[in-house]
Order: sequence, then structure tokens, then C-alpha cells
Amino acid sequence: MRWATRAGCHVDRAACAWLIRRFTDPDAEFVFVDDPEQVPADATPFDMRGVELSHHEGDCTFETMLRVFGLDDPVLWDIARIVHEADLDDERYDAPEAPGLDVLCRGLSMILDDPAMLALAGRMFDGLYEYRRRALLLGREPS
Amino acid sequence: MAGSMEWLLLAYRMPREPSTPRIAVWRKLGGLGVAKLGDGLVALPADARSQERLEWIADEVTEAGGEATLWKATLMSAAAELALARAMAAAVAAEYRAVTAAASEAMATGNVMARTVAPLRRQLRRISQRDYFPPPEREEARRAVESLMAEAVVR
Repeated sequence: MRWATRAGCHVDRAACAWLIRRFTDPDAEFVFVDDPEQVPADATPFDMRGVELSHHEGDCTFETMLRVFGLDDPVLWDIARIVHEADLDDERYDAPEAPGLDVLCRGLSMILDDPAMLALAGRMFDGLYEYRRRALLLGREPS
Repeated sequence: MAGSMEWLLLAYRMPREPSTPRIAVWRKLGGLGVAKLGDGLVALPADARSQERLEWIADEVTEAGGEATLWKATLMSAAAELALARAMAAAVAAEYRAVTAAASEAMATGNVMARTVAPLRRQLRRISQRDYFPPPEREEARRAVESLMAEAVVR
């Protein structure tokens, strides 16, 4: 399937692309556009103004995606807390990891183009998933 | 002489009731440190981050049954631009002074523990995120909080 989002990916879009590839569409192909009107007809847009898979009622796109795709994995919702704060920084959740994740994603988008940024950030989210999975199992931060 | 910066203007209007989304938008704009130019008209210096934040807020306004348009603008008068920048700097300077005062008070009363200093640090970070024209008070506040933290670590 083809997916479209805004060029210049940051934390929310990187997290969404990772979610799509890992949990719903392993063969996902991403298209990056500067304007909503450039979205190809066969592509599903996300994290753009006025589309379903986007910010809604104070949620970031990653949270919307979890809801729309019906993903109830608690580890993903735990990551959603971090992505929400890294993206929106509105103190809805307690996420001490968020400022660090925000800076890392901003830095990556400065040195990489979108496909390379999503590939590298994808590995970062793989690691974050494993870390938070162990943390939830143990009930404490894994060492 | 015209102003030298590009600004983003958000013009918006929301229904009076329900008040919850209206207040949520108002709080978010406050957190971004916008300059309030009038009723339902706010401004921020243009950059990618401000633009993205304002776009999402514009969407939130629309979702709540309001109207919002986002504009890019330059001021026709350099003097007016300077006045706007000074007013924004003065607003954050007052916030920095409050942090400095809280740090001095903690130091004076001996209330120096990492857990009382950490919130001041966090507050400082929040203020600096909406600080587009850093006033000297920023450095003063940073020094006050860091010396308090140094004291807390020593104890």
C-alpha cells in the first residue's frame, strides 16, 4: 500500500511510519509531499491537515492511528504517551523521555532525507518498543 | 522602513459555548508565547515549528466549529516590529524574574533540595521554549536556578 505524509519528517510522522510498517503493512511505501493536493490518489494520507489519520481532539497522529487501526497493545499506548509529549509538549502525560526523543528526531531530520530518517528512526522505535515492553513486564525500568 | 522579519498570524473565531475547546486553544496559544494583536488575532515569528503548531491549533479551532486562517506577514514599520519584539521580550522577562525570585527565596529560607529545585528548572525550560527574543533576565534566571541546584547537590 502507498502512504503519503508531509516532507521533513519529525517524531510523530516517524513513529507513525514505524507503526504502519511494523504492525499493519510491512510492504508500506511512503510518499512525501509539500502540499495536501500532491497526495497521489492511491495513497493514504497521514499527519496532514484535514485527513482522518491526523491530530484530533488534542491527540497526535500516532494516537489517532492506534485508535483507527484498533491496536490495543499496552506497549504501543505507552509509546503513544512519549510521542504525544515529544510532539505536542502539552503536559497531558508524564513522559520524561519525550524531550530527548524530540531532540534526536529533530537532529536526524537535519542530516538525513525522509526515507533514510524513517529507516533510522524505525530502528530507534524498535528499541524503544523493546525497552518499554520489558519495563511494563517488570513493573520497573529494565537495566 | 519596513520590518525585517516574517511573522505568522492566526486569525480565529470560536463559538462562545462550549467553553472547553475555546479555553484549550487559548491555553495552547499562551504556551506558545504568541503576541495577542487583537480579539482572535495572534502572531508568532515565522519558523517551521511555529508554523506546524499554529496549523494544528487552526485545525482544532475548525474541529470545534470555529473558523481559522493562517497568514504570513511582514510589518510595514520597523519601529512597530521592534515594539512588538520588545513587548514579547518583556512578557517572558517577567516570567524569568518570577523564577529568579523563587530561586532566591528558596536559597534564603534554606529550602534547597533537588526535588524543590527541579520544578524551577522545568519551568525555566518551558519559558525558554516561548522565548523568541531572549531578554537578559533569561541568563539571570538560569544562573539563579543552577546555583541553587549546585547547593542542593552539595547537601
